[in-house]
Amino acid sequence: MSGMRRYPKGARPQFYDDPAMDQAMSMIMVLASEVSVLRDRLDTFERLSAAGAGPSREEVEAYEPDEACLNEREAARQEFFQRLYFVANKRAQEVAEADNSQRYQAVLKDTEEN
Amino acid sequence: MLNIFQQQPHPALPEASHDEKSRQEFSKSLRQFVQGQLLPGLAPVFQRQQKKFVDEHGREPKDRREVRKFMVQDPYFQTYASTNRCAQELLWESVLTSIERQQPSLNETAAQLSAKNGAPLVVDPEMEVPRYVTGIDIHCMPGGYAGRAAEDDISTAALYDRGVYLYAMGYVGPMNDDMGRSVCNYVTRNMPDFKPTRILDMGCTVGHSTLPYKEYFPDAEVIGIDVAGPQVQYAHARAGGMGMDVSFQQRDAADTGFEPGSFDLIVSHILLHETSSKAMPAIFKECYRLLKPGGLMIHADLPPFDHSDLFSEFILDNETHYNNEPFWGPMRDMDQIQLAVNAGFDQEQVRFDTAPMAVLEFAAAHAEGYSEEAASEVADRDFEAGEFAPGGGWEVLIGHKQADA
Repeated sequence: MSGMRRYPKGARPQFYDDPAMDQAMSMIMVLASEVSVLRDRLDTFERLSAAGAGPSREEVEAYEPDEACLNEREAARQEFFQRLYFVANKRAQEVAEADNSQRYQAVLKDTEEN
Repeated sequence: MLNIFQQQPHPALPEASHDEKSRQEFSKSLRQFVQGQLLPGLAPVFQRQQKKFVDEHGREPKDRREVRKFMVQDPYFQTYASTNRCAQELLWESVLTSIERQQPSLNETAAQLSAKNGAPLVVDPEMEVPRYVTGIDIHCMPGGYAGRAAEDDISTAALYDRGVYLYAMGYVGPMNDDMGRSVCNYVTRNMPDFKPTRILDMGCTVGHSTLPYKEYFPDAEVIGIDVAGPQVQYAHARAGGMGMDVSFQQRDAADTGFEPGSFDLIVSHILLHETSSKAMPAIFKECYRLLKPGGLMIHADLPPFDHSDLFSEFILDNETHYNNEPFWGPMRDMDQIQLAVNAGFDQEQVRFDTAPMAVLEFAAAHAEGYSEEAASEVADRDFEAGEFAPGGGWEVLIGHKQADA
């Protein structure tokens, strides 16, 4: 039956100067989600395999992670985000430490001259 | 400490496949990352941009609108805000697919569970749903609160039940009921002699915060109302599935149609910021009209902006601009105390207070994922801009109707 609305009513805001970047960002995040989903699926497979023979598709589907598994997966996802947001994290650190391209140029100059 | 809080299953809740569950966990984890990692990095970015503004204009920015103008140009902010938006979209998408897959059976199950709820269900298909709900889909949930895929279809309510859990990252407890539970605790602990016999929960959606009132006041008649038909239908089924007799009715909080002086306690939880400038005063007036003399009105939402922290104010107001929450910012500019006074409450009988979060109780009850440590961290943390809940507790506006009214 479905007929469910897939996209919310209300225009999507533009975050970047170029709207293409907004599209690319969304696609990157969808891909990131799928990478994480695949990783979880592989993790389920490994956990079930460790308990005996190779698991069936049904066993993978029915797998319910316990708290230890939830913790490991959550930690893995947070680490994944840290890697995925390398440039943003770097930028935050630069701003917090007042590091910038002028300082970089100053170091070049200083190194050359002294 | 990692947050791996899990929602407690109940018979009306849609089931997710292995990959759907992983997608849902991903969206919750991404929200954690945005709040915990990207947001703190924004504070120094703001300070730097603000300094630039001061250098250029010779004065501080005067309000959050001026802050927005310079912040939206910053690349770090753009990444923060667009990631937050993507997380929101991924969240609904991850739940939507699981619901579409089992839609007919979800509707059948809901009808069966509803039959177990001994209290009335009232659906009014003729009711005109207010524009503040139908104008845009609030918090980007496809279909909105009141949307239906077909006649009598409750999919959007199932979507809300699971989605709001992920949105709140589990901070509101395994049953999504922390707000209701916290207000109940507040009432029973601060007013031990107050024994309400008829309780109204306004803007109840799927009844998350409504059910604790039945648990804390089992002899009381508890009624949840909402303008959205699918929400009250699902709420009635959800309560039935959990073995509770609680009435859910499709009614407008601004004009309920109930008898005057017919409730001892009227509550709402995160309702007000999803109404409008005209609806909110009307809701306060309706509360006053419906309360018995000596009765209590308690609205749990966020208090007005005091304009002391423009950065927090700007971050919170992102919901207005990026998350289809048109009244989020404007609501916080309204004088809620004055609205209550205009509705008939005495000035000295209206006040703001904090109802401590009940989240630690979930850890004590050994709910899945709710460790003492993770729950304490949530309960004790300082307020961080943009959080769904301020640390430590929920802000409540309390109005006490005169005993001789």
